[in-house]
Order: sequence, then structure tokens, then C-alpha cells
Amino acid sequence: MFKKLCEKSFPKSLWVYHCNVGACNGCDIEVIDVLTPYYDAERFGIKLVASPRHADVLLVCGPVTRQVVPALKRLYEAVPDPKLVIAIGSCAVGGGIWFDSYNIVGGADTILPVDYYIPGCPPRPEAILHGVAVALGLAEKEIESVHLKQLLDRPESVPVEVESLYS
Amino acid sequence: MNAQQLGENIKQRFAAKVIDFETLGSDQLYVTITPDSLVEVAEHLYQDQGCRYVINGGTDRRQQRDAFLITHFFAQDEEKIYIAVHTEVGADDPQVDSITPVIPAANWSERETRDMVGVVPVGHPDPRRLVLSDDWPEDLYPLRYDVAHDVHPPPAEGVAPERLEPPEGASVVPIGPFFPVLEEPAYFRVFVEGEQVVGADYRGFYSHRGIEKLGCSVLTYNQVPFIAERICGICGYVHSCSYCQAAERAAGIEVPDRAEYIRTIMLELERLESHTLWLGIAGHIIGFDTVLMQTWRMREPLMWLCEQITGNRKTYGMNLVGGVRRDIKPEIYGDLRGVIDKIGDEWAELAEAIPGDSTLMARLQGTGILTPEVARARGAAGPTARGSGLAIDVRVDHPYAAYDRVEVNKCVYDSCDNRARARVRLGGTIDSINIIHQALDDMPDGPIMAEIDEELPAGRQAMSAVEAPRGEVFHWVLTGAENRPERWRVRAPTYANLQCVPPMLVGNALADVPISIGSYDPCFSCTERMEVVDVNSGQVRVYTEEQFRAEYDQPGAK
Repeated sequence: MFKKLCEKSFPKSLWVYHCNVGACNGCDIEVIDVLTPYYDAERFGIKLVASPRHADVLLVCGPVTRQVVPALKRLYEAVPDPKLVIAIGSCAVGGGIWFDSYNIVGGADTILPVDYYIPGCPPRPEAILHGVAVALGLAEKEIESVHLKQLLDRPESVPVEVESLYS
Repeated sequence: MNAQQLGENIKQRFAAKVIDFETLGSDQLYVTITPDSLVEVAEHLYQDQGCRYVINGGTDRRQQRDAFLITHFFAQDEEKIYIAVHTEVGADDPQVDSITPVIPAANWSERETRDMVGVVPVGHPDPRRLVLSDDWPEDLYPLRYDVAHDVHPPPAEGVAPERLEPPEGASVVPIGPFFPVLEEPAYFRVFVEGEQVVGADYRGFYSHRGIEKLGCSVLTYNQVPFIAERICGICGYVHSCSYCQAAERAAGIEVPDRAEYIRTIMLELERLESHTLWLGIAGHIIGFDTVLMQTWRMREPLMWLCEQITGNRKTYGMNLVGGVRRDIKPEIYGDLRGVIDKIGDEWAELAEAIPGDSTLMARLQGTGILTPEVARARGAAGPTARGSGLAIDVRVDHPYAAYDRVEVNKCVYDSCDNRARARVRLGGTIDSINIIHQALDDMPDGPIMAEIDEELPAGRQAMSAVEAPRGEVFHWVLTGAENRPERWRVRAPTYANLQCVPPMLVGNALADVPISIGSYDPCFSCTERMEVVDVNSGQVRVYTEEQFRAEYDQPGAK
């Protein structure tokens, strides 16, 4: 149903807002790479916008740090409905190698409802393009999804279910 | 003068205040002094010996010595010496004199030590929280050995960073935490009167991930390079390289020649990749997207080349303590030379076109002035320092890997503006290509990894620095038990360069703020790897327009 809504809501061009919530920059530069001549996401109508209020899609890179949480919540609210959230890179998918560090809250889905996950450290530009194309209904998932569980031994932690496009 | 002689000079001058000193080779000096003499020793090094301030680090040694170890690091670039000044403060009264009043560059790192280890710098002019998040409890210090790496205090609502008040009559323009031209989260508050910037406040450390803590409590020696590489996704190799060199030096491991050459080549490839990236972003910031598209088109074959060599486009995963994991095979030399030559040709065209483009020059020339005095006082590094006429380059001043066997030019400009910093990078790129060619010409055969049979000995220390695309990366490793460092201190170049931002913005038009920040090629993830919170410099010098124009002939003129 969600897919149908997407097809209806975003049939032509997708405006994306990119936010880094504590990433090392690796994913961010690959996101920019997707927009430059070799990969040229703009041919699919995908455009990077400067304000979350203009965006259809929020691209989240990096593990969510404590300091960034309030700003990230406000940012999410600023994106008008209907909206998609795509977590890019291992850190945004599940917290990455710092998942249990004292200043890390976890993956993007600990704060926001995430619709699509694109894993990788950093994901290749092709993977990012493919992930966005799957979200748009332009491409099919290539591999069946599996459910992974990441359990932290913190009292307040809850199991995080990760649906991956590739695993 | 070598390290031994410098140590003797200091010992002679301060007599009983110097408890002990030791050297590592002729280029590293470790001085232990009494806490009450810290300010005078620091001032002597900084003023009389002409040393450059690097960073401060705190180590919790309550298990071994019932004390906290406070270390200030200096570099004497002319004599090619790194100096660590250690002082111990008792665990029952964790206070130490602040040296920020005499060396402004120590501002952030003293606050970081307070946040992370809990040693209070007495007399600090701006004692606000720097690194930890706003809702972090006051009395919990993550780098203390008895605090777990995965401690998660409950979040608090309604907290906000402490802010500087704008000057009378000025308005505040907030930039961030999410802002289109900043790839990373950071929060600047720019104080303006009309279009003119009169001051700035900065709250960063949104990307603090606790990396130093992980390196000292969870990982082992050979796992650290991989997390070090993820300090920064753009210039990660410099961190893993610098860490490995420090660990090797501490343990006395000889790295094979071929591994040193491979490191040199990979470091220069990374510099090429980073400088092309920077130029594109700079073009994007000033609204000239053609530059972005062209430079990133040029850069892409380099990414493919790196993938061919290392298996990944970025975060190469090549370094281990003792050498490198992958060889650069002779079959690939041709491809490598082809790719960099092509970039060199296209870059030369670009480097010629850019100074001739009046739109670009109007935005770069005379904006973002950073005087040599401010640059030195705040510890600027790399292209930022070289754009202000300070001729410092770790590759020449403190050679590492194979840089003592290749020819490196220091690319220095003294117009102190955004244009100077751009020209340093334009020239540095061509230089990188020459270095790679030289290294390929001389590349020796042999093993790429040293044989290491025994565990690394505990209680040894070493410093190592690498010239990253953005400036000097500095690592200090104190070896420990359980096959991991007891303390691993990292300083990224942006840590120093960002402290120059508030004074640099003053006097600019608001529209020039993004490119001025961008001209540092800021990399917040490097800077903030280890701790969390808000930052700013205490004293911002405020110019009137007349003073400013008098001092820097006609900014904004073409």
C-alpha cells in the first residue's frame, strides 16, 4: 500500500534534503557524487534542495549523536507530508561501528520512522541510486529481504529490526 | 638543536621545576614538570623557543599513579622536534592552571580535557562546555577508566547550549545545525550590523562519536586503524597512517621501505581526491555549480583507481601496525600514472581559468582575512596556515613515511584571504601528482609488512603527525596492557582551523561567510571525533570598517 502511495505521490520528480547527523562524511560525499556528471541523478528528476520545507525525501547519513537529536526531530517535522526517509550507510542503518558508544543514540530509526535502508560503508553511488529507484518503484529489489536483530545490553534498549535491501 | 639539547636547555632554565625529561630519537622530547610551572614552561616554549602549539590531552592514570596526567603538545618546526609537556595533578584535587591566557590555541583542548577527564583549567577565559551534549550530566567524564564506553545517561528535555551574547545593537543570524553548504552539522551564530559581520559564536561537536574512548577501552591495536579511518570519510587514511606510525614508533617496529612508499602514494592520492572535492564544494558554495560538476567529473576516475588498488572507493582499510595490508602491484603503475596525469592536465587548465574568472575572484579576493598573527596564536594548520604566509608543512618539517626521499614544495601565499587558501590547494594538487610519480619511480621491492612476534610493550609513548589535505593530523599513543593503547589522543587540523573562524569572519559581508568557512575545508567529523559540545573563542577582535580597510587595503576590491 505504501508503495502505491509513493507511486501516486512522487510520480515525476523527487526533491531530496540531505542531512548528516554525525557521519564521518564518507556517505555525504557519495551522495554528492550521485548528483555529479558520472551518475547524474538529476536525469531521474532527483534534485537536492536547500530547505527541508521543499523536500519530499530526507536522506539521513550517520549515527545519531545525542547532541543532534532535538535538531533532527525538528528537521523531520519541517518536511511536509507525504515524506520518505532513507537511511544511507551502515551508521544510519544501525549505528555502525559506534552503535553502543556513549554519545551515540543509534541508527536513524531510533528517532525517525525510516522507510528505506541503504547499507554500506560508504555505500557505492550505484547502491544509492538503486535504493532510491526501488523507493520510487523504478526498480525491483534484487535480493529477498531478511530481518536482522541487533540487541544491546542496555536496560532501555529495544531490539531494532533492520530490513535490508541487500542482505 | 636536537631533542636532547632542547631538553637540557629547558632543564637548565627551570632547574627543579623540571622533574625529568626523555627523548625518542632526535625528534621527540617528553618533559615532565611540576604543575605550578606549567604556565611559564608553556610560555617559554611558545614565545622564546618559537614553538607552535598543537593540542592538550588528559589521561586518567588513577590506577597506576593516583593522578591525572595533563599533556600539552608543541611542535618546533625549524628544528624538526615534537615536544610533549607532561604534568601530573592529584586525583583528589583535579585542577590545573590554564595556559589559554598566554596561548589562545589551547582554548578548546583545555575545555575538552575538562569535559572528558574532569580536570578543571583554572583561569580559563571561556569555561563553557565544549564537547559533551547539552543534556550530558555535569559530573560524568567519559574518558575516566571507571566510566564504561557504553554508558547512556537518560536524556534531559529543554536544554540549550550556552551562548555568547551579541554585541549591543547587533542582530543574530543563525547558521545550522543543518545548513545546505555545510555537509555536516554545526551551529554558527553570526552577529551582524546590517550586512557587516561584527562577531560570531560557534557551537559544534554535533558529530562527537567517542572514538578515543572506544580506542582505549574496546578495540585492540590492530582494530584501531579501522576506526581511525572512520574519523573522517574524506581524509581517513591520514588518521590510520598517523596512528600506526605512532604505535610503531612507541614499540620500536621498523616498517619496510615498500610499505612506506605505498603509504606515501595513498596519502597523496587522498590529497588529490580531497582537493578536487574541495574546489567543487567551494564553487558550489559561491553558486558556481559548473566548477562543482567539472571537478567532480575529474575526480571520479581517481575513486575507481582507489577501488582498484584497495578494494574500496574510500576508507581504504590498508594500514595495520607494522605496514600495509595490500601491495600496489607493478601491473597497476601504468593505470595509476595515466589517471593522475589526466587529472594533472585538466587541473592545469582549471588552475589557469580560475584566476582569470572575475566572478570567482570577486568572491575570493580580500574576503575571509586571517592574519598570520591570529593564525599562529590559534594554531592554524595546513593550507589555512600556508594561505596566511606561515610556511609549515609536516611533510617537509617532520618527514614521515617516504617523504624524506621525495621532493615536496611548500606552497605558501601571503595574501591571507580566501584566494590564498584556494591557490595553496590549486598548487598543492600539482605537487601531489609530482610526488606520486617520484614515489613510483623509486619504489623499492620487498615486504610490505613487518614481522611482529611479540605483544607491544606497555607504558611506551610516541607522537606522530601526518600532513592531511586540511593540515597537520597529530596522534599520540601511550601503550597499555590488554593489547590496546592506554591513551590515544587525536588532533585533526580542523580542530585548530575552526578556532580561527570567529576572528576571520569579523569585517566580512554576511554573504561571504559561507565561503570563508568553506575555505578551511572544515571537517567537523574529524574535529569532533572524541567528545561532544559547544565551542567558541572568548575574545573576538572587533574591527571598525575603517580599521579593517586600513589594515587590509580595500577588501572586496577586484
